[in-house]
Formats: sequence, C-alpha cells, structure tokens
Amino acid sequence: MARGDAEFVEFARSASGRLRHAAFLMTGNHHQAEDAAQTALVRTYASWSRIREEDAYGYARTVLVNHLVDGWRRPIREYPTDNLPEQRRGDVADDVATRRWLLDILGALSPRERAIVVLRYYFDLPEAQVARELGVSLGTVKSTGSRALQKLRATGTPATQGTGR
Amino acid sequence: MTELEQLRRAMRATERPYPEDLDLTVIMRDGRRLRRRRRLAGAGAAALVTVLVAGGVGLGVRWTRPPAPDRPPARVATVPDATPPATSPPTPGPTRWRPPSPQPIGEVVDTGIRYGVDQRVFYLVAVDVPEEPRVRVGLMAGRRSPAGGLTNDMVINDVQGSDRRPGFHEIGYDEATPPDDDRPPVPTFGYFVGPATRIVGTVRGRQVDARLARWSTDPELVIFWFDPVDLTPGVRLDGIVARDAAGRRL
Repeated sequence: MARGDAEFVEFARSASGRLRHAAFLMTGNHHQAEDAAQTALVRTYASWSRIREEDAYGYARTVLVNHLVDGWRRPIREYPTDNLPEQRRGDVADDVATRRWLLDILGALSPRERAIVVLRYYFDLPEAQVARELGVSLGTVKSTGSRALQKLRATGTPATQGTGR
Repeated sequence: MTELEQLRRAMRATERPYPEDLDLTVIMRDGRRLRRRRRLAGAGAAALVTVLVAGGVGLGVRWTRPPAPDRPPARVATVPDATPPATSPPTPGPTRWRPPSPQPIGEVVDTGIRYGVDQRVFYLVAVDVPEEPRVRVGLMAGRRSPAGGLTNDMVINDVQGSDRRPGFHEIGYDEATPPDDDRPPVPTFGYFVGPATRIVGTVRGRQVDARLARWSTDPELVIFWFDPVDLTPGVRLDGIVARDAAGRRL
C-alpha cells in the first residue's frame, strides 16, 4: 500500500467515529449517518494528495456537514427500529432520556441551524470557523446559537423532563 | 451547569462505540473514481463521465470523440458532426495525449457570471448513451477564457427516453463540497423543452427565478441556470416550475 493510502487508512479509522456521530446528531438516523460519513470519507480520499498535509479532518467535517445540510429535507426524528446505543456508563433510563431530549432540541432546528449547533457545540469550533465552513455570516452563526439556546430553555433539560416522555 | 454546557455534554454522552466496520476498500475505490472524474472534467475531456444529479441519480454519458490513440481510427461515417473533423485526428505522441474536448453544438450561452476574466457559459455537446439512441445531446457547464478557449466543468444529460421530451430534464447540482480548488462552483443548471418564458425554483419556501436562454439550434430547448447569488451552487431545489408567456404552468 502506498504511503499516502496508509495514512488515509489511519486517518479514516480515527475520524470515522466522530464523523458518524456528528451525522447522527444532524439526522437522528444511524443508517443515514453511516452513509454520510462514508460519503465524506470518499470525497476526502479523492482529494487526499492535496489535503493530507493540511487539515484533513476539517476537510472531511466540512464535506460531511455541507452534504447533510444540502441533502436533508425531512424533519429529524428518532427511528423506532434503531437499536439503542450500547451503554457505557450511568443509568440506561437517564441515557435514553438524554438522547431523546437531544434529538427533540435538534429536531426543532432547521438543517443549517442544526449544522451550526453541531459544529459549534459538538466539534467546539469558534464561531468564525463555523461561519467559514458553512459559508454563512458570523451574524448567522451568532443568531442561530442564541435561537438554539432559546429552544433549549423552552424544552427544558433531561432532568426536568424525566424519562417518561 | 448552563444549558449550553448541558447540550455539549449530551452530544458527547450519546456517542456510541462505533464498530470497526468501515469498508475502506469501497471508500478508496469510490474515492479513486471520484478523483478520476474530477480530473477528466477539469481537463475537459472524458471517455466516460458519471455525474450525480437530483435524487442521487447517476448519469452515464460518453462524449462522442475520435478513437483512442491505441486503436485505429474508426470510419468517418461513424463520427458524429459534433466531433472535430476526421481530417485532424489526435496524434498520439510519445509524450502525453489529450483527447479533444467535446465541441459545442450551436451557440455558446454567456451567463454574465464572471470568474476574473473567465465567463461562465453553457453549451450543448454530443453525447452517446448506450442503447439510448434518442439521447444525443447533453448540457455542458463550462468556462470561456478571453481568448475564446472553453474549459468543461460539468455535463448533464438524460439516461433514457429522448433528450427533446417536453418538460424538465436533468438538473445539474455541483456536488463538490468544499468547492473544488481547480474550478469555481457551477451554478445549478438544466434545460426545459417547451415554450417556457419563466422558470422558478423553490428552496426552503423561497422562490428563486432562473435565468433563461434559448438554444440557437432548437429554440424549444430553454437553457436555465440560477445565479449563485440567488441560489448557492449545490443546494438542492425543493421544486421547480416553468410558465409560458401567459403565466400558465407548463
């Protein structure tokens, strides 16, 4: 295997988990998340010789998020046939409540708003970088963040909602 | 803990231990194909190009062109009008052979969109879709330099039926995200066959008017595109309608 290919394999293995989870946060569907992550990795590999020395992870993340923003037209929802994630810690009921609360919050946002929230609060990117990666203004990122916060406050927290939802 | 902190924590808490089931062979194979397609489109010459368009449909198009250099020239009668004259076939040399670009059929349409000194243009080119004899043309998005040279960026065409069927045909979305470094983003474009004088796309509840131009060879074929200022290249339309001069929906 060529050196560049070996580097890509290592990159793909280390990045795919976070890419998949980011896609899941944006779609609420694990199958679509896997497809989106795969698409992002395909496009990243197609440009690998150009980006491998730069920010390959940033490139893959931007491809993923823009792919989902452009392609996603249906509202987010949790698919009842999805398997629950394997639990690593804590109480199962609490984790299920957290997951539902999270999907409720994200589901109330538009695809672009969701992308902004995921880039800002899951990837912890500064607002200016979120704006750059999505091709929107800094003001849009700020206002979206504050709108998300309002919805979050209106929805309450997992603790205040309980698990019976 | 603030709400945002709670949101952050929830996003991480819901991470699953994703299994090591990446099919890297498929990813790298598809990546190589995509890279090849980009290079071919960038070079303005391809024997086989697949363009993904609305609805994830794969379009196969073979631009008609002279024979490959490692084969004897085909008979002149089989070379369509759109290809360069048979008297000037490509000369395979010891260095690098570049297949000729597909030649525009009819006039090249200038969109008014500029990239420095280059113009965004559209033109019809000959295509050859196996077992679809009524699909003979595709719509190319290209760039024209001040010297008049054309660079092909992206072609769309039907894969079944007839390229002159009334109504909308395939719509070209630029899927290179982030944008390809080798070329500027291609505006969303397509063509409609019929007496359309207005074409309006809808995206997220917003209506966007397309720019129109009639094909010089067949005025029934209306080329349309969306200015990148009105519609970001690559953003998918939720709907599109064509209207005639009386405002009737076609």
